[in-house]
Amino acid sequence: MGGVHDMGGSPAGPVDKGQHEVEDWERLADAINGALGAKGLQSTDQHRRAIESLEEYRDLSYYERWVAATEKLLLEKGVLTSDEIDERAAEIERRWNEP
Amino acid sequence: MTFEPGDRVRVLAAEKPGHVRTPEYLKGKAGWVESVIGTFPNPEELAYGLSGLPQRPLYKVGFRQIDLWDAYTGSAEDHLYADLYEQWLEPERGTT
Repeated sequence: MGGVHDMGGSPAGPVDKGQHEVEDWERLADAINGALGAKGLQSTDQHRRAIESLEEYRDLSYYERWVAATEKLLLEKGVLTSDEIDERAAEIERRWNEP
Repeated sequence: MTFEPGDRVRVLAAEKPGHVRTPEYLKGKAGWVESVIGTFPNPEELAYGLSGLPQRPLYKVGFRQIDLWDAYTGSAEDHLYADLYEQWLEPERGTT
């Protein structure tokens, strides 16, 4: 069996060719990926491997996979800790909810 | 470089854990080397932060669609091309 990403040729229904507006956080996810690559902290092959190994792969959208995989890689490499990520996320949420 | 354009090849039917870029639907299938793309660091190793060296030959391999899909109703001349690394190919001596 191939990985969860290796679905080419499997029985499936029609392909959803619908488009959606790219959201700001998705652009940011793309930019962060580029920046991490430029700094040598992440490569396309590493990122693909991390995406393919996400347990929640089938429940995530395209850029949600990107973000989850980047987080996984940065934890794996010891660039960030999950505490640091959680604290920062909480801080942003506080700021977001300020009137 | 083990193979040349025109050589018959078969994709290994191997199960390899990790980051594998050879699609499941091609495993065990026979085709031909259409062209040599070049040599590149092995993505199966790059995926884990290794050097991927020595570089591995990458081939553009052709397949007949009727050899890939049981219920294929299109022309016998319909082809599919895939980029496959040398470590996934073995010489094919059959006459498919």
